[in-house]
Amino acid sequence: MATSKRKHVKGGTSVAPTGYTAIPVKFSEKHQSPHYLYVKEHKVRENTDPYRPPNRTLFILNVPPYCTEECLSRLFSGCCSVQSVEMCEKPKLGEKPEATESKFFNTKTLLGFKVAYVVFKSPAGVQAAQSLSAQGPLVISSVNHPVQTGIHKWIARYTASVVDPAELKKEVDVFMQAYDQKVAEEDAKAENEDGIPDEDGWVKVTRKGRRPGLPRTEAVNLRALEREKRKRARKELLNFYAWQHRETKREHIAQLRKKFEEDKQKIALMRAQRKFRPY
Amino acid sequence: MSEDAERDAEHRDQEGGEANEAPAKESRSRGKKRRLASEGLLQPVKICKAELYKPPTSEELSRLKETENLFHSNLLRLQIEELLKEVVLKEKRKQKIDAFLHQINAALSKIPETREADIADQSWLPKDVKVPFVQVPFTVKGRFRFLPPVSVKVVGSYLLGTCIKPAINVDVALTMPREIFQDKDNLNQRYHRKRALYLAYVAHRLAKEQLLGSVMFAYAHGNHLKPMVVLQPQEKDAKMVTVRLYACPPQGLFKASRLHPSKNNVRTAWFTEKGSPVAGADEPPTPHYNNSILCDLMMESHLLFLSESASDFPGMRDGVALLKVWLRQRELDKGFGCFNGFLASMLVAYLLSKHQINRVMSGYQVLRNALQFLASTDLTTSGISVSKDTDGSLPTLTDFHRAFQVVFVDPSGLVNLCADMTSSKYKQLQFEAKHSMDVLDDKTVDGFQLLLMTHKPLIRAFDHVFHLKHVSKLQAACRKMRLLSELLDHSGNYVAAALPFLLSLLERGLAQRVLLLTHSLPQVAPWPINVDPPKHKDTGPLSFGLLLSPDFAASILEKGPEADCPEAVEFRKFWGERSELRRFQDGSICEAVLWNAPNHSQKRLIPEQVIRHLLQLHMDIPESAICYTGALLESVIKLGREPAGTGEEDMVDVVRSYDDLSRKLWNLEGLPLTVTAVQGTHPALRYTDVFPPVPMKPDYAYYARNKDREFLVPLAEKPCPAYVAPMKVMCHMEGSGQWPPDKDAVQRVKAAFQVKLAELLYRQHHLLCRPGPTYTDVYKDGYIFRLQVAYHREPQILKEVVTPEGMLKYQDTEESLRLELETIHLPFVTSALHGLQQQHPAFGATSRLAKRWVSAQLLSDGLSEECMDLLVASLFLCPAPFTAPSSPQVGFLRFLLLLTTFDWKNSPLIVNLNAELKDEEYVEIRNDFVAARPRLPALFIASPRDRRNSIWTKERPSAQILLRLLVLAQESLRTLEEQLMDPLGNQDVKVAFRPPLDFYDVLVHLNPKQIPRHLQAVDRPVKSFSRGMLQSNAAVKTFVFPVVDYDPVQLYLQELREAFDDLALFFYDKHGGEVIGVLWKPSSFEPQPFKTSNMRGKMVLAAGTESTVPNVAAILEDFEILGDGLVRAVEARTEKWSI
Repeated sequence: MATSKRKHVKGGTSVAPTGYTAIPVKFSEKHQSPHYLYVKEHKVRENTDPYRPPNRTLFILNVPPYCTEECLSRLFSGCCSVQSVEMCEKPKLGEKPEATESKFFNTKTLLGFKVAYVVFKSPAGVQAAQSLSAQGPLVISSVNHPVQTGIHKWIARYTASVVDPAELKKEVDVFMQAYDQKVAEEDAKAENEDGIPDEDGWVKVTRKGRRPGLPRTEAVNLRALEREKRKRARKELLNFYAWQHRETKREHIAQLRKKFEEDKQKIALMRAQRKFRPY
Repeated sequence: MSEDAERDAEHRDQEGGEANEAPAKESRSRGKKRRLASEGLLQPVKICKAELYKPPTSEELSRLKETENLFHSNLLRLQIEELLKEVVLKEKRKQKIDAFLHQINAALSKIPETREADIADQSWLPKDVKVPFVQVPFTVKGRFRFLPPVSVKVVGSYLLGTCIKPAINVDVALTMPREIFQDKDNLNQRYHRKRALYLAYVAHRLAKEQLLGSVMFAYAHGNHLKPMVVLQPQEKDAKMVTVRLYACPPQGLFKASRLHPSKNNVRTAWFTEKGSPVAGADEPPTPHYNNSILCDLMMESHLLFLSESASDFPGMRDGVALLKVWLRQRELDKGFGCFNGFLASMLVAYLLSKHQINRVMSGYQVLRNALQFLASTDLTTSGISVSKDTDGSLPTLTDFHRAFQVVFVDPSGLVNLCADMTSSKYKQLQFEAKHSMDVLDDKTVDGFQLLLMTHKPLIRAFDHVFHLKHVSKLQAACRKMRLLSELLDHSGNYVAAALPFLLSLLERGLAQRVLLLTHSLPQVAPWPINVDPPKHKDTGPLSFGLLLSPDFAASILEKGPEADCPEAVEFRKFWGERSELRRFQDGSICEAVLWNAPNHSQKRLIPEQVIRHLLQLHMDIPESAICYTGALLESVIKLGREPAGTGEEDMVDVVRSYDDLSRKLWNLEGLPLTVTAVQGTHPALRYTDVFPPVPMKPDYAYYARNKDREFLVPLAEKPCPAYVAPMKVMCHMEGSGQWPPDKDAVQRVKAAFQVKLAELLYRQHHLLCRPGPTYTDVYKDGYIFRLQVAYHREPQILKEVVTPEGMLKYQDTEESLRLELETIHLPFVTSALHGLQQQHPAFGATSRLAKRWVSAQLLSDGLSEECMDLLVASLFLCPAPFTAPSSPQVGFLRFLLLLTTFDWKNSPLIVNLNAELKDEEYVEIRNDFVAARPRLPALFIASPRDRRNSIWTKERPSAQILLRLLVLAQESLRTLEEQLMDPLGNQDVKVAFRPPLDFYDVLVHLNPKQIPRHLQAVDRPVKSFSRGMLQSNAAVKTFVFPVVDYDPVQLYLQELREAFDDLALFFYDKHGGEVIGVLWKPSSFEPQPFKTSNMRGKMVLAAGTESTVPNVAAILEDFEILGDGLVRAVEARTEKWSI
């Protein structure tokens, strides 16, 4: 394969599966072997992916770990101005960018190979991007736009990992306020509905109010079952009838036999592994 | 009822008795066997109901009953039967051996007689044979000629059927004719010399025989007075049998009364070659010498006695065979002063004669009774005699005790069968027997495996081992101790003469420090007949084993008697100039010896100091002659300048600081909820951190400083700062209605607590803190503690799922499991192991050695720390058949042994922390394990709070890593034991800690400058970099938060694994490794169809095919790009893989 790969580089054309275009990309000028971005126009059924407009979105596979969103944006801005770049671990449907994106919680940095969706301002960008394959490999880190990796990157990450307590506190306070408000609203709503039948005439029983019902949890159900069982067991007589005696004896011998069989199996296994040679 | 009867009838019809059924069963079981052999995995047994409940036959019932009565359990019975099948001689081989014996007999009878000559005149003896006897002094009176043997008889175990594999020895006794001997041949080794000459001539004649593969000499049980001829058949059968020719005197040749233990038969004047005997001078008794002659005299009658005992007693044959296996596994059955198979048979015969066993007993019961007897009887003080004679002329047991250390008198009442045994050896035997009885009674372990199948060599069984490099040093010791009469008795064998004295000296000196002191049995390998016999010094190094008492072994003080009492003189004499007067706290002034040991690792070696001192003082054995292997391995966990400790003190400091922190947390004022528990979970807090954190003060000059938030940041151009490990501490907050029942909200509340904690700690205790959303780092006493707030209901909240019917269910999720692990299981394990360390001081260091080794093999990321801790804990909680290790070295060897010998596939390792598990629960765990085996992790560890899931091994190690670990463990164990048992070699134990690198496909070499833990490497670099640390006692106060948890290599590895997880495995030694080993996953190079979900670092092979392969060239460049500044070179070993 090594030889065939070299052929790609020399020929300057890169193979891609149908529907895709391969764009060679390398980290910096001095590197020899490029990775290949596999790009195609993002196409899904109508209206399933509202945040990635059809025609204007480029779907990119195999984005190398050191390639950041800014990088992609810069690399493709040559084709057409880029509206947004989104990266994720694997292809998935776009979601609405969360309004309350938290700076401190549930953050995850992507370190491996990624997929990306690049949304251009105009449909021409997609076409232009696909034609990039013919040119030489794109360069991620250039003199003008260096990309940090290794020690520099880790030091930067270390610095960024230290948070400002005041900021953190503020965010927490805001969140908790919103949460408290939400809970209060729900409570108020529940209280209003308490005891009032709905349109079919059902009354919802809650844990609050005048006559709280049992909570509907699995544990409660299990406990009830257990209680039933115990009640039944108490009523039963053991070793009362002759057949019960017989049963227990039979059961005893069966147990011994079962044990015997198990032991035999163990022995056979050990014999197979030559476990009986004390030397 | 009627239905039952019908079914029974049907069964009987079907079976038509056992005979018909047998083949069916056979074929079925064979089928099962085949399946088992192929998978090597136990399956849950499934028996159809009809078979399970069929009425039992009388045979079956009787077998079940017999098992109950005669054996411990069914399994044990089957195991023993299998074992016996394996060791007992097969009929076919027996026939071959018989034929061989006949040939030897014929050859022996053909030997012609020779002319008579003086014993000293050995010119008649052909040149191609050397007399197998150390003839010192050479001259001795008496005349010798060779005459053919009167009789040639097979004696010993072969006839009794107790001969066991692998070393089949057939003893043949040649009775020398009476004519060879003269009066007084019992004197001055004359008998022994004649015997040796006799055998020499026999050997010379046999060497010419075609039928023999080899003819050699050997000492019988290492006794220099007793050479024998060792014969082996022609090459292809060489392994079949070893025939040993003994020569013995005719019956009644010597008068028994002359050979009593109190009689002298070696004259001092002759032995010392100093003129004529001094008239009237008392000659010292020579009991051992006398005994050696008597042994030969009684050889035949002993055989008769044994065969009489063994008749109608099949259990004896089995029992003796088992006993021999047991002895063999403990290395007690070979060498000078061993408890050999013959003694084992004699013991069983003795028990039979005393009606302690009877003829209907099974082999297992014989073994059990023999062990019971050995465990409860001390033959060093109350000897036993098989003799029924009450003849007054026989020596009494007291006479024997005076002459020998261990007394076991034969049926004739004359021979002490244990004459050469030292009392230490017997104590060991007794200890083993006692221990074995405990194991047999323990229902939770597989007694069979532990007693009969586990080898217990000295180095694995004893905490410390030391070697006397050259036994010739004992010659000087004999002189120093004036042991002439002992030398006389042992005919110049100074090893045998000095050994008992050496042992009693050490026993007295070590006293309470040791539970048991033992020694290896001197052995000499057979030698060719044309070579001079090995001298006493040729027995090789003598090894001693110490079983330390955990409570006393490390005490630095030897308190003696008060200065003015008479014993003080004795004490001073014993300890020499080490003894000094000391005043104690209670006001007394006593003689005392104070050993110099500033830290734990040296305290562990106090026995070494004692031994070296005493041997030098009393026996003139120089320090250089002693090779002490007690702590050689510890150098890999030492850090810092000499005298470097092994970190125990550091950990005590850490724990002290942690305790203080937890007290401060408890008493913190102004928190909205109180702290209910503080639990440290870092390994250092359970004493198992390989290199515990040390207090550190940053040197500001080495860092950049983040001004607005007051913390240090590493500089890219400087060497990477020293690694500071944060110690995780769980801080449980009180449960309250104020906690929100929502997971996101809980997270926020916890973060608010983190901020609050930091604020309060700073305000009330002036501790530097750095809060974050999930944890708060606290800088205290130079350590970094990572506080993490926990709320006990949070895992529950994470588990909540509402079913479509509106029912609230609890389901484990990844998050909830992780949280439970951190807040429930980890604190439990930590506190349990902390407790274990208090009981077994060697636990921590053992665990650290084990972790160091795993990490040195680049596998530390393949195994969780807790998993390794638990593995090591099991060595202490369930040490059988050994005792719990009291030194890290032996603990580590057993760790390797555990890895290699445990059947990970078919059994769960049960670690009974805090002894919470009962016997029944063991059974339950095992059953659950077998039933669920395919779904469980490769390495399964059950502990009291985690019986079914093995949480610590769930994700790691994978089956492949485990396999690799086992291979490495086996290899390391072998090398280590070889090194440790070879005092004359270079003893470079670090060999086992240097991983073979030829196994990896790509090596990524790192720049030492950026490896923060570079100094922890196994082979410590001569020079490293200054890493921005001040001495911990530097008078600087730290106001700026230091760099915490910053290790570029770990960050690099994390990126590599994220990026190339599906293509390759990465291996690294986190303790200062300079190389990352990369192994391509075997499947990753196979072309795979193009899929959007797995295009990571791949490329399309060729147009149209749409199959993809990894873009290796680019990936190799990626290795360099990702580790910019850290990676020195990427070495691709393309010869190892092809794409």
